Amino acid sequence: MASLITCPHCGTRPKEEFSIRGAAAPRRPSPAARDEVWHRYVYVRDNPKGRYEEYWHHAAGCRRWLVVDRDNLTHEVFGVTDATDHLTAEAGE
Amino acid sequence: MALNLLHRHVLEDHILGFHGGANPNHLSVVRRPVIFSVLAHAGREGQVREALAKAEDIAIRACGPSEWLAVSQTAGAEHVAAQLSAIPGVSLAEQSDGKVLMAIAGPSVRRILAKCVAVDLHPDVFAEGQSANMMCCHVVANLARTGADTFEIIVPRSFAGSVFEELTEMGREHALTASFLDA
Amino acid sequence: MTSYRLDAGGAINRAQALTFTFDGQSFKGLDGDTVASALLANDQMLMARSFKYHRPRGVVTAGSSEPNALLTIGSGLRAEPNARATVTELYDGLVTTSQNRWPSLKTDIGAVNGLLSPFLGAGFYYKTFMWPASFWEKLYEPLIRRAAGLGKLVLQPDPDRYEKCWAHCDLLVIGAGPAGLMAALVAGRSGARVILADESFTLGGSLLSENVAIGETPASEFAKRTIEELASLPNVTLMPRTTVFGWYDDMVFGAVERVQKHVASPSPDLPMERLWRIVAKRAILASGAEERPLVFGGNDKPGVMTAGAVRSYLNRYGVAVGSRLAIFTNGGSGYRTAADLTARGIKVTAIIDARQQAPDLGPDGVRVIRNGAVVATKGRHRLESLIAERAGFQEVIDCDALAMSGGWSPIVHLMCQRGAKPIWSEEKQAFMAPNVGGAFVAAGGAHGADTIYACLRDGAAKAAAMMGELGFSAYQATLPEVEGEYDPSFAPVWYVPGAKDKAFVDFQNDVHVGDLGIAQREGFRHIEHTKRYTTSGMATDQGKLGNVNTAGIVAGMRGVSPAEIGTTTFRPFYTPVSFGALAGAARGEHAAPVRTSPLHGWAKKNGATFVESGLWYRSAWFAKEGEKTWRDSVDREVLNVRANAGLCDVSTLGKIEIFGAGAAEFLNRVYCNGFLKLPVGKARYGLMLREDGIVFDDGTTSRLSEQHYVMTTTTAYAAEVMAHLEFCAQTFWPELDVRFVFVTDEWAQMSLAGPKARIILSRIVEDDISNVAFSFLAVRTVTLRGGLKARLFRISFSGELAYELAVPAGYGEAVADAIMEAGREEAICAYGVEALNVLRIEKGFVTHNELDGRTTADDVGLGKMMAMQKADFIGKRLSTRFGLTAADRLQLVGLKPVEADKEIKAGAHLLKENAKPSLANDQGFVSSACFSPTLGGFIALAMLKSGRERTGEHIVVWDALRGAEVPAEVCQPVFFDPDNTRLHL
Repeated sequence: MASLITCPHCGTRPKEEFSIRGAAAPRRPSPAARDEVWHRYVYVRDNPKGRYEEYWHHAAGCRRWLVVDRDNLTHEVFGVTDATDHLTAEAGE
Repeated sequence: MALNLLHRHVLEDHILGFHGGANPNHLSVVRRPVIFSVLAHAGREGQVREALAKAEDIAIRACGPSEWLAVSQTAGAEHVAAQLSAIPGVSLAEQSDGKVLMAIAGPSVRRILAKCVAVDLHPDVFAEGQSANMMCCHVVANLARTGADTFEIIVPRSFAGSVFEELTEMGREHALTASFLDA
Repeated sequence: MTSYRLDAGGAINRAQALTFTFDGQSFKGLDGDTVASALLANDQMLMARSFKYHRPRGVVTAGSSEPNALLTIGSGLRAEPNARATVTELYDGLVTTSQNRWPSLKTDIGAVNGLLSPFLGAGFYYKTFMWPASFWEKLYEPLIRRAAGLGKLVLQPDPDRYEKCWAHCDLLVIGAGPAGLMAALVAGRSGARVILADESFTLGGSLLSENVAIGETPASEFAKRTIEELASLPNVTLMPRTTVFGWYDDMVFGAVERVQKHVASPSPDLPMERLWRIVAKRAILASGAEERPLVFGGNDKPGVMTAGAVRSYLNRYGVAVGSRLAIFTNGGSGYRTAADLTARGIKVTAIIDARQQAPDLGPDGVRVIRNGAVVATKGRHRLESLIAERAGFQEVIDCDALAMSGGWSPIVHLMCQRGAKPIWSEEKQAFMAPNVGGAFVAAGGAHGADTIYACLRDGAAKAAAMMGELGFSAYQATLPEVEGEYDPSFAPVWYVPGAKDKAFVDFQNDVHVGDLGIAQREGFRHIEHTKRYTTSGMATDQGKLGNVNTAGIVAGMRGVSPAEIGTTTFRPFYTPVSFGALAGAARGEHAAPVRTSPLHGWAKKNGATFVESGLWYRSAWFAKEGEKTWRDSVDREVLNVRANAGLCDVSTLGKIEIFGAGAAEFLNRVYCNGFLKLPVGKARYGLMLREDGIVFDDGTTSRLSEQHYVMTTTTAYAAEVMAHLEFCAQTFWPELDVRFVFVTDEWAQMSLAGPKARIILSRIVEDDISNVAFSFLAVRTVTLRGGLKARLFRISFSGELAYELAVPAGYGEAVADAIMEAGREEAICAYGVEALNVLRIEKGFVTHNELDGRTTADDVGLGKMMAMQKADFIGKRLSTRFGLTAADRLQLVGLKPVEADKEIKAGAHLLKENAKPSLANDQGFVSSACFSPTLGGFIALAMLKSGRERTGEHIVVWDALRGAEVPAEVCQPVFFDPDNTRLHL
């Protein structure tokens, strides 16, 4: 019927406003990275059950890419951050 | 030869069916609003937001953290563009023809819009002056609360006919009428 | 007369008589009746035939769990099968019809199935109709379907409107009985936004059916006053006739409101039903408890019903379901029923109590048989007497109705819909609601509260606690006294053994105790297996009445606690929801939003036939008088563009404006070809790859000023490309200053193509557009005569001298008209996407037919575009991997049939001459094909193994699907003007 995501920019919205891209953890390797690294980045994804971070695009709202931290079994959402902010925070750690 | 070019509103044919006066619940379509997309460049978002708030004769609609729609029903496009482009860190794209502006007002407006948008429009949650992009009648729209019982909806031109038909269909229960604002 | 309307009492409007029909016979009911109560008031106990054995059936309940009394409600296009008579609101003129019987409800030939029943037990179909397999679809299934069944669907379109709606609240209260009303009152008075939904047309729940006094007024009066107060609170929304059917993620509840189901002449301005998505911060499930039937031989006889149902018909509807009732109970509910009946002067012939000892006392003069059981029932179309047994002795008890009570089960369905299982309570002898977190809790009967007072208290307390959590100062309710409650305790009796007749567990699917035994003996012991093997709980009522008994009986057979058996899985919907409500307004042409181009009106008046392309409507071709087929039009349009000029609507192409100091670098990284050196005032064809090296999309990007570009995408990929650009900018290279905005809708864009394009355009545009001043790939803002500013691009998708002119959308139609007028002497024509497609195939230009998510730039002959000297671009790293550079990859080629008039169709496969069709011999496929009027024959683009080195080879175009094999010659993919001389005219 519906599920809801709270966009940090727009507030609570139904999932129909978003499109999902998959795991947010992989980082685009440098052009010089080894073949295996690129292979992993492009083709290999974990298929976790439970909590993980995922890219969601708020296509019908602010058009920002978001990182949704959620449990893919229960759909419990632990946090939603702007993807750019997420990267900045990660770089700061 | 000089061309005498007629400007045509996309809802011209749709509104033909609505004759007579406006009921308490009424949808008015603004014929020639001036609308610009305003983009703030990296690091300038805060300044741009502040500057936009001071713009004269221009209503500012929030789209995202660095994007707004600047709407004016009184000022000309050149005047609006001049004001906006004076703001440092801004890029502009005119959307006056690409967007359709409709105002829906009346005592049942929230009950009508509850059939069109998923967002909670209770005044404690979505107060007067607030605006946001959201799905409206299955189409990406910008919705703004301009009064207690008045909202403005901005939709892409190509979808306007579809959105108009759905809005009026959802308004049937509340005897919603529709016309151009200047009619 | 056995069942009849009493002279007084009930929450019905006796001044408002309603006429309705049942199987063609006219009856009178009252305002406030359900169909069931009205039929009972008219002594019509027989209402249906059972699903499998066609046994006569009457009502068992007075609510939404009803398994038996399924009727077809309404007539004509509005006839709705399988409606429960017990919840269907009566209205004047209502037509109702019984189902699954022939020739009549009283004389049903199908009842012969009852005689065959020894053979029709659980697993019968699986064991019997095993083979031959081909018989299943043709013989067995149609036969079974005809014999067993429910009502018939109307196959014509539904004449009514439906809507979907959102609602938001602090607290959603599901069920308006004592707990729900109290919860809503506390929350409402605390100032919270409250929605109170109840499936019935009258709010009040069990308060309407129970004969107690609350605060010195009758329970129904208390309910009425409370509802009046709730209605006066602006922050409370009452939703009668609304079933909350599902609990979804993030506290979204699905509900269906029956807006006009009870209206004789529905208003065309109102929906028939409305689907609600209710977003609630907190929710209270106050759905009450279900009384369990007792399982004994012949327990499906019309006239046998739950004790609570008897009280509902008596107290809420003023209907006596019989004139001489017997009662079979394992707890206080039976005694309360006896007391209510005798108080209204209705005879109770005996109370048969399954318990040895009980605290309850029967009313004066009513015989109580303790430690007794009902073992058989007599009567054909309605109960006439029963046989009770005590200590091995049997006796006949005279009665025309039997009230049975097997204890209570909280209605926990909604709370179990997201995976949590209900929990067996030994103390309550029932499955209780699981703990699903504090946001959604059960209260009242749904939480095991078994007196009205306990329900009121629980509802108030749960709501008060939630108000505190939400930051409201909780209203402190003073609970009223409740007088006249009965002792609610009961001792479980799962079934009465030794019955000769069937003892039904699931009335609706005709599953009896014997079937459960077969399932256990044959190994289908897990409750989910038992369910599927016997079909217990699989009917439209989803086992609301029978599932707990099934668990209890199976537990008994296995010698374990029901806790070990558990329940089957609960899923939405709680009760059936119509497809109309689920679809809402999105049906027919409104199934999806429609996108129209700014030139839609222009295309229409020029005779366009439109084609759906995603949500867009694009002009496909423009038929002229005398043209018989689409090909006639397309051939003419193509030839005219090549010879003179044509105007085509290309407004649907995606248009994205790009701004910023980092824009050039950004474009250089998302396109595989170079963009850093694109001069201002020039357009460039660009190719985007995916990160795996495969082509993603193509289009042109023009540099309007130093830090300002406009990109065009294909119509189909506009949204994907925009999302891709945003993803790259926001997650890969946030350090680049670049911003995007869609401007697709701002511009009406038209392609003016053909050798006479310039002369026509020069009559419209003030600027110098000579070949010197405005060469191939030039881009400029121009002024149209009269002053309108427009964007002009010299780009071509036809191979002809061509321009794309973009004007503000509102002027599109006028400008297109002006161009047509200006080109009249040059014989300009309008052309559509079909001609556009032929023009591009003739030139070997690729579209998503070729860029199909499997091809590399090199595959389609654009390998030279890849600027491998760039440090990085999306797709660069993997574009050189082994598989993408293999020599035998499919490569773009042209195909010409050996005989020019033989048609080649897209999708056909390619074989070497004389090769047998097989996967191993597959050489590739045809990606695009058309008749080329320019060349006078069929041509095609194809993806062929190592295709570029095979020019001149003869191959076979194998199209088994359409029964064609066409010999063809491999050629260069550019069929026309390979040197591009016409582009630069």
